[in-house]
Amino acid sequence: MSEIMAQSQSIVNEEGQSLWADAWFRLKKNHLAVLGLCFLVFEMMLFFGVPLISTVGYEAQNLELTLAAPSFQHWLGTDTLGRDLFQRLLYGGRISLTVGILASLVSAIVGVIYGSVAGFLGGKIDGFLMRVVDVLYALPFIFLVIILMVYFGRNLILLFVALGLTQWLTMARIVRGQVLSLRHKEFIEAAKSLGIRQRKIVLRHLIPNTLGAVIVYLTLTVPSVILEEAFLSYLGLGVQAPMASWGTLIKEGVDVMDQAPWLLFFPALCLSTTLFSLNFLGDGLRDALDPKGAKD
Amino acid sequence: MRRSTLLSCLAFSLGISKLLFATPQVLNIGNGSEPKDLDPHTVTGVPESQIIQNLFEGLVSKDPQTLKPVGGVAESWKVSKDGRTYIFKIRKNAKWSNGDPVTSQDFIFSWKRLLDPQTASEYAYQGYYIRGGRDFNLGKVKDSSQLGLKAPSPETLEVVLENPTPYFLSLLYHHSLYPVHQTTVQKHQMRWTRPENIVSNGPFTLQKWEMNKVISLQKSPHHWDAPQVKLEGVNYYPIEKPETEEKLFQVKKLHVTGTVPTEKIAYWTKDNSGVFRRHPYLGTYFYWMNVTRPPINNKLVRKALALAIDREKLVKFVVKGGQAPAEFFTPPGIGDFHPKALLPKDGSRIAEAKKLLEQAGFPQGKGLPSIEILYNTSDAHKKIAEAIQQMWKENLGVQATLYNQEWKVFLDTQHSHNYMVSRAGWIADYNDPNTFLDMLTTGNGNNHAAWSNTSYDELIAKAAKEKSPQKRNQLFQKAEEILLEELPVLPLYIYTRIYLLSTDVQGWYENVEDVHPLKYVSLK
Repeated sequence: MSEIMAQSQSIVNEEGQSLWADAWFRLKKNHLAVLGLCFLVFEMMLFFGVPLISTVGYEAQNLELTLAAPSFQHWLGTDTLGRDLFQRLLYGGRISLTVGILASLVSAIVGVIYGSVAGFLGGKIDGFLMRVVDVLYALPFIFLVIILMVYFGRNLILLFVALGLTQWLTMARIVRGQVLSLRHKEFIEAAKSLGIRQRKIVLRHLIPNTLGAVIVYLTLTVPSVILEEAFLSYLGLGVQAPMASWGTLIKEGVDVMDQAPWLLFFPALCLSTTLFSLNFLGDGLRDALDPKGAKD
Repeated sequence: MRRSTLLSCLAFSLGISKLLFATPQVLNIGNGSEPKDLDPHTVTGVPESQIIQNLFEGLVSKDPQTLKPVGGVAESWKVSKDGRTYIFKIRKNAKWSNGDPVTSQDFIFSWKRLLDPQTASEYAYQGYYIRGGRDFNLGKVKDSSQLGLKAPSPETLEVVLENPTPYFLSLLYHHSLYPVHQTTVQKHQMRWTRPENIVSNGPFTLQKWEMNKVISLQKSPHHWDAPQVKLEGVNYYPIEKPETEEKLFQVKKLHVTGTVPTEKIAYWTKDNSGVFRRHPYLGTYFYWMNVTRPPINNKLVRKALALAIDREKLVKFVVKGGQAPAEFFTPPGIGDFHPKALLPKDGSRIAEAKKLLEQAGFPQGKGLPSIEILYNTSDAHKKIAEAIQQMWKENLGVQATLYNQEWKVFLDTQHSHNYMVSRAGWIADYNDPNTFLDMLTTGNGNNHAAWSNTSYDELIAKAAKEKSPQKRNQLFQKAEEILLEELPVLPLYIYTRIYLLSTDVQGWYENVEDVHPLKYVSLK
């Protein structure tokens, strides 16, 4: 935590504050957001660091020690097949966070390109592209994901993509809105009059200007994707055994909550604290990057 | 997403409130899965058979206490001296639920339908006992009048068998030999089992069938034994989660559950209220090995996989219900047959498995593609598969992937051989080892391993003709030996029937075939 603060101060101390430095300065003042950020960094280190040094695998079973209560040997207890819950939580966190981040990135890439093209070109093309978004909006996302999963098979990468592909719609609308308000600004007119190609205008001038809104929305997409993955895993469509995500861990925990409540408690605690952190960070970023919208 | 969950919660609670105001003599049963269909000739599963046994009635019924054949549609029967000809006398008051009399013609129509290649019944081989049944089913004989079935009068049915079959009467309790109503089947074709169309001849009729919610039966006023039937109705709930079943049982919304959550067996064993039921059950839990799929088309790989599973551990720590590890395919004790355990039991088996895998060209599992295990959606099956996955990984270095399918899809996948390894359970249809072993003959509709072995087929055919019970059992033992050498099936454990039964239920008897004719059952 202290290390991050030190870095940030050096940025603040620079002369002539950029948008980013300015935003960082404001974000820092939001204690909840900073707390959320620190927690997430801590979690990431835990998830990706600990499995490297631990000797027990997340899938190693000790059938003679099933549903054991938390102890020195198994910090958070063991599950119905005698697997260490702590290891499974870390591994599950890795999957859940990776799903969350990758799917959000997929949604961002598709959404930003789609939205900026629609907004910049305008007219009939815009109308057509946005009607497509409207139609897709009307489809229940879960059916879309299930069809994609069934059609392309059970594959973790595809799960990321499928979730991302159902998340880009709102992103596309937000970006389009931003681009619509930007496209008649002077600097775009200037770029046009200089004869710069359309593609370059979109990539160089429009997209960077929408990034604030995009990043804010991204932090809100991550938690919703994590929840959707949990939901899919609950239905048996998410990650496959012996892999675990927080969703599958919670599902398994619910079944044995009478005998081993810790199997439900710890995964649920992890999921909810992470979602809180992401939401706090998202709120903080919104206030920091978009001062005008902070009051609503 | 959230709204839809909320809606389904609402629908669920409405369903529960319906249960709450159910009338007294209505039995509520947890039936596991949504049945594939209710056509006696095309279904193969236990959830389906549970319902069909009470919707329809065969020539012969079973006494739930002794499992001896008692009069069903037939009030009496005579067997010829050579044991090949059966003459059944059908009750005059045996009626369909629309009031039509049940006649010998109904049975001839139904059994021809079972054997008709166009029906594509997986259970068609249950009709092979009838003379000419096999040839007709395989299309070698087109003329159905060649079958050993005769109806001298509407009340008399004469059946000539291929071989003298001592268990033929108990076979008649199986749903594949139940009668169906000719005009209804011909008129409505595929849709004849819908509640608005169906005509059945059992003690109950189908009143309501709500997909994934409930199947309701109602007492049939036309049934010949209607005065004996005490229940007004039966509701079958397709609840896949044992935890949900258990909760519904505890709040008295179910009288009988399909099973008990694995982790709660220890708890229920200590319970003194008398609702916990555990008794032997003639069934084997095993994995089908699709012998057409590489890499398990290799016998050595199959054997290595079979040896690498520690069944004792699996039963003790994963299944937990006091089941017996299966070192053979046929459950011991069925028809006085006790198969010998052939897979070595001691620690040498892992070393042996490793050696076999090396011989097959996959030392330490290197180069072996991932083994895909299919199971029907259930946490209990998942847990077992995960334990096996880990045993294969630790003992052999073999990777396995798991995937699950809903019951109906699962049955189709098995039937079309579109899997590598698939979870299965086989329950005795009658008390004879043949019910397990003839399933694996070449081309049998339930042989989901697509396995074929001529010497095995010969042994089963020989056993069918053998009169001496000792010699017959020897033939079955030889057949078992071939099975455990070739391993188209990978036996895991012998079932124990475990469920919860309300103390309000009377006339419910424990038996190894888990047969519970509801016409004897009543509620306190």
